[in-house]
Amino acid sequence: MTLNSTRYILRETIHSMKRNPWLSIASVLTVMVSLVILGFSVFFLVNASNMAKSFEDQLEIAAFVEESTTKSELQALQTHIKGMPGVASVTIVTKEQVLTDFGKTMGGTENNILADLGGKNPFSDELTIKATDAQNVIALADAVDALPEVYKVRYGQGFVDKLLVFTQWLRWIGLGVVAAFAIAAVVLISINVKMNVFSRRREIQIMKLVGASNSFVRWPFLIEGLALGFVGGALAAVIVGMGYNWIAMNVQSTLTFLPIVQNVTLFQQVLVGLLLTGMGMGALGSGISLQKFLKT
Amino acid sequence: MIQLKNVSKIYPNGAKALIDVNLTIGKGDFVFLVGPSGAGKSTLIKLFYRDEIPTRGQVHINSKNLIRMKEREVPYLRRTIGVIFQDFKLLPNKTVLENVAFALEVIGVSRKEIQLRTRATLELVGLANKEKSYPHELSGGEQQRVCVARAIINNPALLVADEPTGNLDPETAWGIMDLLYNINKRGTTVVMATHARAIVNKMQKRVIAIENGRVARDEIKGGYGYDA
Repeated sequence: MTLNSTRYILRETIHSMKRNPWLSIASVLTVMVSLVILGFSVFFLVNASNMAKSFEDQLEIAAFVEESTTKSELQALQTHIKGMPGVASVTIVTKEQVLTDFGKTMGGTENNILADLGGKNPFSDELTIKATDAQNVIALADAVDALPEVYKVRYGQGFVDKLLVFTQWLRWIGLGVVAAFAIAAVVLISINVKMNVFSRRREIQIMKLVGASNSFVRWPFLIEGLALGFVGGALAAVIVGMGYNWIAMNVQSTLTFLPIVQNVTLFQQVLVGLLLTGMGMGALGSGISLQKFLKT
Repeated sequence: MIQLKNVSKIYPNGAKALIDVNLTIGKGDFVFLVGPSGAGKSTLIKLFYRDEIPTRGQVHINSKNLIRMKEREVPYLRRTIGVIFQDFKLLPNKTVLENVAFALEVIGVSRKEIQLRTRATLELVGLANKEKSYPHELSGGEQQRVCVARAIINNPALLVADEPTGNLDPETAWGIMDLLYNINKRGTTVVMATHARAIVNKMQKRVIAIENGRVARDEIKGGYGYDA
């Protein structure tokens, strides 16, 4: 590419945007609106997934150990379960601790509670087990239940499977929303570029006729697409950035129990991603739409 | 310059535009293509600058094989061929100067050279005083002169014209013919498809008649040969 060509291409790009200001504005707005929606859907997905994870993280298995088990056997059992696949952590809760906790909830001290219960601690030692993946909770609970030292497990049977189905759906819906809007954005942009190319088909025809190379015809459109995509992406990043902060602030002050993701790195990544996606969509849309016109 | 061997062109809709055409046009020739509308003249002309590719047969322009030519070589072929149309095909939002300069800009000629050559070419076609005008401010004849200027600014070896006088009154048409005559005198091969009987009869150049996609007549100093 010679200097003359480069100068011509840049001049032509600006010229074209000036000549069709409304089409340029329409393209920028299309990119912006699509990316704003896309950006919010990404944050929705992140939050939905985070919410699902925080629900799942609260899942744990309580395994009740046979009364005859000694303290050292209990520790051996803890080590054994820790070694099982899919186990994140195992904590011992001795029956004395359980009694204390129970006493606290009943509003008495350990001793008079013990007295009230006839001097005998009715509780058994417990192990609190967390799974690495919430999806494994049920299988893991069954495996632990099968151990001879364990006489019972509790993990919120009947509730867990429903919760897992719900969180899975939450993720799928989030992903679906993102995908739908990404496709819509690409379609809208390619329509815009097609209109742009169509409005200049005569010019392209003459360029081809007097011997302009394909790349020469393509460059101004590609640069225009990149520029429009960049502006649209930048506007979208600003709107999404400010909008998300605003929503996060309001949600946290009113619905305090909802875990809102506020990860600065992720935040920056999404905004830069929007900018790049805008440019990419602009350039790609131009390229695809031009292909048809460049065929001789 | 131009050599066609057993060329047939059948469009995807089944229309047979050209059937087994054999043709040789030498360097520096001036050739009229005549024949009824739809006989295949435009298709024949489009083969020369590879706007169409024949279904069968061989086309050589300037001893280049257009059938085997790669897509990316086509722009370089076109830089050696000037094309003139009945409807001028000017860009409405560019001035006369810009329209002519366009042909040089898109092939990467320097600004200084564009200035020089554009001015000289506009001078040649007699439009030096109209360079700042827009196409819609010009008469039909003037617009066609702009189109001619754009076609010859690259000093093409071949100039093809598809009914260049079709939209012009007889007097204006003669002005364009003078121009083409002079361009031909400088050594450029000119092929012109036309329905202008008076022009063909008066100029006494080679006449090739196309009828139903075949060469029906080829005379060195021919006349139009059809009743008006």
